[in-house]
Amino acid sequence: MRIRLLDVCLIGLLVLTACGRKEVPGPAPHEPTPFELDIPFGFPTKLNIPADNPLTVEGVALGRYLFYDGRLSGRTHPDSLMSCSSCHIQSNNFEPGIDHPVFQGGFVHGINGQQTHHVVLPLVNLVWNKSGYGWNGGIATDNPDAAARNIEDIVRMSVTAPDEMAGDTSRVKALFQSLDGYPGLFEAAFGSSTITFKNIEKAIAQFVRTLVSANAPFDRYLRGELQLSQSELNGFILFTTEEGADCFHCHGGGGNPLFTTHLTYNNGKDSIFNDLFDRFSITGDPMDKGAYKAPTLRNIAKSGPYMHDGRFATLEEVIDFYSHHVLLTDQVDPLMHHAIRGGVQLTPNEKTDLLAFIRTLQDDDFLTNPDFARPGKFPDEP
Amino acid sequence: MKARILFISVVTLFLLQACEKKEKSPVETASVSLDIKHQVDGNNLQPDAMIYTNEAGNRYLITNIQWFLSDIELINSDGNSMALTDNLGNRVFYVDTDLPASETIISSPNIPTGSYQAIRFTFGLDEQSNQSHRFVNPPESFMFWPEYLGGGYHYMKLNGKWIDQQGHMAPFNFHLGIGQEYFEEGKSTNELYDFGKSIGYAHCEGYQPPHKLNPVVAFIQNYFEVTLPVSLIVRPDESNEIELLMQIENWFKGEAIYDHDQWGGSIMQKQEAMEIGIRNGIHVFKAKAVSK
Repeated sequence: MRIRLLDVCLIGLLVLTACGRKEVPGPAPHEPTPFELDIPFGFPTKLNIPADNPLTVEGVALGRYLFYDGRLSGRTHPDSLMSCSSCHIQSNNFEPGIDHPVFQGGFVHGINGQQTHHVVLPLVNLVWNKSGYGWNGGIATDNPDAAARNIEDIVRMSVTAPDEMAGDTSRVKALFQSLDGYPGLFEAAFGSSTITFKNIEKAIAQFVRTLVSANAPFDRYLRGELQLSQSELNGFILFTTEEGADCFHCHGGGGNPLFTTHLTYNNGKDSIFNDLFDRFSITGDPMDKGAYKAPTLRNIAKSGPYMHDGRFATLEEVIDFYSHHVLLTDQVDPLMHHAIRGGVQLTPNEKTDLLAFIRTLQDDDFLTNPDFARPGKFPDEP
Repeated sequence: MKARILFISVVTLFLLQACEKKEKSPVETASVSLDIKHQVDGNNLQPDAMIYTNEAGNRYLITNIQWFLSDIELINSDGNSMALTDNLGNRVFYVDTDLPASETIISSPNIPTGSYQAIRFTFGLDEQSNQSHRFVNPPESFMFWPEYLGGGYHYMKLNGKWIDQQGHMAPFNFHLGIGQEYFEEGKSTNELYDFGKSIGYAHCEGYQPPHKLNPVVAFIQNYFEVTLPVSLIVRPDESNEIELLMQIENWFKGEAIYDHDQWGGSIMQKQEAMEIGIRNGIHVFKAKAVSK
């Protein structure tokens, strides 16, 4: 009898233990589909993607909707719609372009009519920028201000800035929460249908990081798929020689196909520096007065007007400046050694060749890529 | 008696086995740290300060220096060398005065302990290492040396300004890398620059460059080897630090005086100017072991 009792106790204990181990099925873990970003030939393998916002197929798709949806301004009246795409036009290298129907000459203003401090920079190959965003490079991963470090932060700044969308983040997220289709897309991308502004930032940043331009004629030349013309080759030699046009130290070349270092330089435009948003405003180093980012030259023919203040409307004007009108100041970057004689002194033929080469950096596949284009309809549209 | 013999045999066998099993103690190794300093006239570099005067009498400032050293070796008292690589096996190192972290190179912990008498390295990169697209990530990729000028990478970018003869603060780029020999009527390839360096024929030979440039007919490898005495005893569990000093002013003196007024702002296409830098380069570096 004692044995039987012991048996019973043991069986009971086993059953209880088994019951205790039985796990209650929880919600399935959120596992969005990783987005594989191809690294083109010669491009950096190190990407600027925050650990808390990896690229996913669902996140990129959502970001594309948000990038183009004018309700990102937090408003629904047709006159008050504004989104990233209001200024960042795909066919113009994700810049307004000097032919913009609203922003004359490519000079943009916000929803309230207030003009931005600087002209727009292109959204191209930014996933490889690890040296700071904006004309002064102030939005950087080493910024002590954790709210000003990456593309996610630029999204929030653009939505709230008085000279851009002048919006309110609470209103924006409430508006998208109320739109059919969007909560489900947030659920798919981030595991929650409750829309947060943080997730709006993340989605748009993901989409922007997929905007890769790497199939210009020059890329195909580098890959051995295409031969450049004699004039284009001449321009390439000028571009990459100190005794030529000397562009390559700041604007790259075959060994740096980003066609920028993403660093800031004083390129000798001015002798008086009164802009409150130059590189000096970030570093406090007097040698950084009048210094701005060297923008990428990819698709640059579409990116006018040129320089931080848009002072040049055409590439011909830019080449003329670097050829004959560079100012020698204490602040001019040492790489601008031609400043001692006013510039690189190109002849008319050399200017023609240089421009011919620069035009080989135009990637029409990028400018027309349907994956980057405005969606056919938004999630709440039938 | 039999038992005694058996006992002795067993003990002897054990002892013999113990002797056989005794392994040679492995060579003790440690890590070595290279602390790179940039100085002018015995003092740490003060960037952008117009306080220096070179041997030619040029007043000058230095903004920044970016350079490669490669194939570092420590030479022990027997004259044998030990390659210094980092934990990833890299043997090419980028140094940048704007990036303090780059000024310290820590080797993998595979340097045998003991006494070393010299350090040897290549300034720049040799032909095998200096291949275009070797580095695709910044900042190394920003050092690319244009294909038309020989390809690969700058050995060094030393950027600054000098007060020229007109009193202007003029920018200069003292950039070293593969040199070129340009076509000149009536001059043979080896006639211009015969310094015992490897001369390769230009891959763009025959291409007629635009306008003011003559065709390149040959490339000249300008990298050079530096061997410096250093008295270092590598010990386990110590930092084993060597201070490698670049004496910047020596780029402009030693074998020949470099005058900014003569060479101007840029020298990537002036082999004669780069040659002066290369020849002076043997006087630029100094090394010493740092005792803690």
